[in-house]
Amino acid sequence: MTVTSMPRAAGADQPRRAPARGAAPRRRRSRIIVSRLGGGLAVLVPIVLISTFITYSLGALSNSNPAATILGQDAATPAAVARLNHALGLDHPLIVQYWNWLTQAAHGNLGRSYFTQIPVAQSIAQRLPVDLSIAVLAVILAAVIGGGAGMIAAIRRGGWFDRGVTVACSAASTLPAFVVGIILVVLFAVTAHLLPANGYVGPSTSIAQWLAHIILPSLALSLAVSADIARQLRTSLVEVLEQNYIVGARVRGLPYRRILVRHALRNAAGPALTILGNDFPLMLAGAVAAEAVFSLPGLGQLLLQSAQTRDIPVVQGLLLVISCFVIVVNLIVNTTLNWLYRANDGIGT
Amino acid sequence: MKRLIGPQSALRLPSARIAIVVLLGIAVLTAFGSTLAPQNPLTINANALFQGPGAHHLLGTDYLGRDVLSRLMAGTRLSVLTALEAVGIGLVLGTGPGIATVFLGRWFDFAANRVTDALMTLPYVFFAVAVTAALGNGLVQAMVPVGILLAPFFFRVTRAATLEHARAQYVEAAELMGASKLHVVRVHVLRKVLPTIAVTTASMAAAALLAVSFLTFLGIGVQPPAPTWGGVLSSDLAYLAQAPWAPFIPGALIAVTVGALNALADAFRDRRGAGTLAAQPDPIIRTHSTLEPADDDRQSQVA
Amino acid sequence: MTIDNLRSPDLAARPATAAAPAVTAGSDLLRLDDLHISVHHGAATAIRGISLTVQPGEIVGLVGESGSGKTLTCRAALGVLPDGCTIDQGSLSFAGHDLTTLSRRGWEGVHGRLMGAVFQDPASYLNPSITVGHQLAEVLRVKLGLSRRAARQRSIELFTSVGLNHPEHVFHQIPAELSGGMLQRVMIAIAISCDPQLLVADEATTALDVTIQAEVIELLRRLRAERGLAVLFVSHDLAVVAELCDRVVVFYAGEVVESGPAREIIERPRHPYTQALLRVASVGDFRRRELQVIGGQPPQVGEHITGCRFAGRCPAAAAVCRSGPIAPVTVDDQHEVRCVRAQEAWTAGELAAR
Repeated sequence: MTVTSMPRAAGADQPRRAPARGAAPRRRRSRIIVSRLGGGLAVLVPIVLISTFITYSLGALSNSNPAATILGQDAATPAAVARLNHALGLDHPLIVQYWNWLTQAAHGNLGRSYFTQIPVAQSIAQRLPVDLSIAVLAVILAAVIGGGAGMIAAIRRGGWFDRGVTVACSAASTLPAFVVGIILVVLFAVTAHLLPANGYVGPSTSIAQWLAHIILPSLALSLAVSADIARQLRTSLVEVLEQNYIVGARVRGLPYRRILVRHALRNAAGPALTILGNDFPLMLAGAVAAEAVFSLPGLGQLLLQSAQTRDIPVVQGLLLVISCFVIVVNLIVNTTLNWLYRANDGIGT
Repeated sequence: MKRLIGPQSALRLPSARIAIVVLLGIAVLTAFGSTLAPQNPLTINANALFQGPGAHHLLGTDYLGRDVLSRLMAGTRLSVLTALEAVGIGLVLGTGPGIATVFLGRWFDFAANRVTDALMTLPYVFFAVAVTAALGNGLVQAMVPVGILLAPFFFRVTRAATLEHARAQYVEAAELMGASKLHVVRVHVLRKVLPTIAVTTASMAAAALLAVSFLTFLGIGVQPPAPTWGGVLSSDLAYLAQAPWAPFIPGALIAVTVGALNALADAFRDRRGAGTLAAQPDPIIRTHSTLEPADDDRQSQVA
Repeated sequence: MTIDNLRSPDLAARPATAAAPAVTAGSDLLRLDDLHISVHHGAATAIRGISLTVQPGEIVGLVGESGSGKTLTCRAALGVLPDGCTIDQGSLSFAGHDLTTLSRRGWEGVHGRLMGAVFQDPASYLNPSITVGHQLAEVLRVKLGLSRRAARQRSIELFTSVGLNHPEHVFHQIPAELSGGMLQRVMIAIAISCDPQLLVADEATTALDVTIQAEVIELLRRLRAERGLAVLFVSHDLAVVAELCDRVVVFYAGEVVESGPAREIIERPRHPYTQALLRVASVGDFRRRELQVIGGQPPQVGEHITGCRFAGRCPAAAAVCRSGPIAPVTVDDQHEVRCVRAQEAWTAGELAAR
C-alpha cells in the first residue's frame, strides 16, 4: 500500500493550541505532573501544621498535672514539680512547647512515656506492623471485593448480580466494622473453627499463621469501604460504558475485554480511587475496632491504655503518626489520580 | 448536587415510612426508655445466665443474668442524646462558615477550606479517645471532637449548595436591585440550602450514632454497670463461647437505627435507577485533589 | 460458511493488499435486506424494511432528515446498535456472509479489518484521556500484531496520509488538544488503519466548517481512488452527497423513499420528498430563490400510518396515497421510487409552478 502525503491543509486546520514553547507534549505533561505534586505538597504543609497543632494542644488542654502524676503524691512538692516541669519543658508558652515538640518529632523523637519512660516512637514502632498488616490487607480486599463487585454489577447492570450488590452495599453501610468483626468471629471462629478468634502472630514467625490471624480483622474493616467502592465504581463505569468512545473502540475491532480494562475501567477508576483515599481515616477507625474485637496488640490498644492512664506524650505521638499516615495516603491517591489522568486535565493551558 | 425532592413525595416511599416508624420508636425509647423497661437493667440474676430469648426475657439475659431488652431500652437515651450532641456541634460549626464563606471573599474561603481539609485527615476514634485522656472519661466530652470532625462534612455540603444558589441569576438580580447580602442570604439562599442541610443532618446522625456505639463498645465514657448499646455488645463479645447469638441483638438494633437514618436521607435525595444502586452524579473523571476544596457532597461516611 | 468463520484467514485475516478472495467484482459488499429495527426494547419500530447495497469501491450516500433512521441503520450495519434496539426482521450481510446474528467476538474480526467507521462528533468517539497516537497504535498492535516501534512508525505514516500536519507532534496529543477537522482525520486514520473494504461515515462532515468539510470529502475520494475503499456516506445535506457519491439512498421516517445513481436522483428526482430536499439544498435544477423549508413534521417513531408516510407533508398527496402500503417502483435502470406517482415525469418547471 502506498502512503502518499496529501497537500497539507493550510491555516484553518491548525491545532487549537499551538505547540507550547517547543516542548514535546509528553515532556510538558510530566513537567505538569511534577508541578502538581509540588502544589499538593504546598497544600499539605499547612494541613500537617494545623493537624499537629490541634493534636498537641489537646495535651496542653488537659488539666492534668503530669509532673505531679509522675512524681506521685508523696514526692510532689511544689519545688520538685517546678523542677520536673522545667525538665519536661512544660514551663514554656504553648506555642514554644509545640515548636520544640514538632522539631523533635521531625527527628523521630516523640518524647517518652510519663510512666514507663519507654520512648513513644519505640512503642509505636513496635505496634505499627499489626495495624499496617491489617490496613494493607484491608485495602487490597476492598479493592478486589469492591472493585470486582462494582465492575461486574456495571457490566451486567439490571441483572440479579447487580441487584444483589445493591442490597449488599446498603446492608454493609449500616453495619459498623466492630459488628461485622463480631459476626465474622461467630461465623468463622466460634462456629466453624476455621480461623483463630483473636491474637496476632508476626509474619517472621509464620506467614500462614500471620495471614490466618489478620484475614478476619482485615475483612471486617474492608467491608464498608468495599461497599463504597462498589457503589462508586458501578456508577462511574455505567456512565463510561455509555460514552461514545466505547462504541468508537468497538468499531475499531478491539477485543471487548481490552476495551473494558484499558478504556472503560481506567477512566472510571478515578472516583473509586478517591473514595479509597477519603475512606482511609474510616479504615483506621475500623482498625481500632478490629483490634478490640480480635484482641490485637495494635496502636488502638496503646491509645486506649494511654488514654486511661493520661499518658499525654503517647497520645500526642499516636495522633501525629496517624495524621501523617492519612496525609501520606491522600498524597499517594492524588499522585495516582494525576498520573492516571495526566493527559486529560487542562494540560497545555 | 443531588436533586432534592419535596418531603411529601419522599414520604410516599415505603422505605421512608418504615424509617420514620423506626425513628419514632427510638425517640420514645430516648424519652421513656428506663421507665418502660420491663425489668431493672442492673438487677443481677445468678440463676438465669445466658438465657436465650424467651417469654420471661424477651431478648434473653447476659453473663450476669441481666435482662438484655431492659439494658438496651435504658441505654438508648445516652446513646441518642450524645449522638445528637455531636450532630449539633457539627451543624453549628459547619453550616455557619459554609454559608458565610461564599460571601466573605476568597481568603476566608481558602482558609476555611484548608482547616476543613486538615480536620478531615483526623480519624474520630483517635481524637475522641485522646480528648477523654485530656478532659476526663465521659461520653459528653468524647463526643465533642466527634462533632468537630463532623463539621467539615456540613461545611462542604453547605458551601457547595450555597455557591450553587448564590451564583444563580435571581440572586444576582436581587443584589442588583439593592438587596443587602444578608437579606439575600436569609430570603433566597437559606431556604434553598435547608433541604440539603436536612439530608446531611440525617446522614451525620447515622454516623454519630455509629461513633457513640463504637466508643461505648470500647468502654469510652461510661462506667461499667451503666447500660449502653455498645457496652452490651462489648460484654457479649467476651462470652461468645457461651452465647454466640447474643451480639446479634445489639448489633441489629444499631444497624436498624443507622439504616433508618440513612434510608430517610436517601429518600429525600432524588435517586436515579430505583432498584439498583444509586447513580451519583460524579463526573466521569474527577481530577481535583481530595485535599483541595471539593464541591462534592459526599456525606455518607464519616471517619 | 458459518458466522464465526468470518474470523478465519480467508476473510478476516486477508492480506492487506489484495482484495479479499471472497469478494468478487460486481457482487454486493454490504447488503441490507428488508431490515426492521425496533427501539425502546421493542416498544416502537424505527426502521421498517430498509434494503440497500454498497458495491466494492462505491460511495453510497444516505440522506434524510434527522430522525429518519440513517444513524440507526449505520449502527446496525456496524453491529453496534444502542441498548434496547434490536434487528427484528431482515438480514445484514457483508461480502455474502450473514452478519445479522453475529456474536460480539465475531464482530471483533469484522470491525477494523472489513469495516471502519467515523462519526459526526469525533472528539466523543476518542478516549479523552489517551493520546490519539496511542489510540491508533493500539489498533495496529492488537489487530495487526505490529511491534510497539513499528506501530508508532505506521501511525505516523497514516497520520501523514490523511493530511495531518506535524504527525509526530499530533501523535502525543490528546483529543482535547486537537481541532474538529484534525480529530476527523485522526478518526479516518484509525478507521482505515487495518485496510478495511468499507468505511461507514455517519455525518462525518456535518460538524466541520465548509473548507474543512471540502478537504475531508477530498480525502475520502482519494482513499477510494487509492485503495478501492467503499464508503457508506451518511448526511442530511444533499449538496454534499451529490458532490461525492455514486449512488444516493433517500430515507424518510424509517423507509427508503427513493434510491438510484446520484446524477439521476439530482437531475430527475421522482419522489416529492427528494424534490423538497433538493429545493432545500438548492442543488440540481432547483436554484435558490428564497430560504426553503419542508413544511410540517415527520411522523413520530412508531406512529402507525397506513399508506405513504410522507403523505401528511406531500403537496401532491391524494386519497390513493393513504389507502394502503406503497410498493417501490423501478422507474429507470436502478432508480427506485416509493411513490404512486413515480411514473409521472415531473420537470423542474412544473414543480416550481405547484
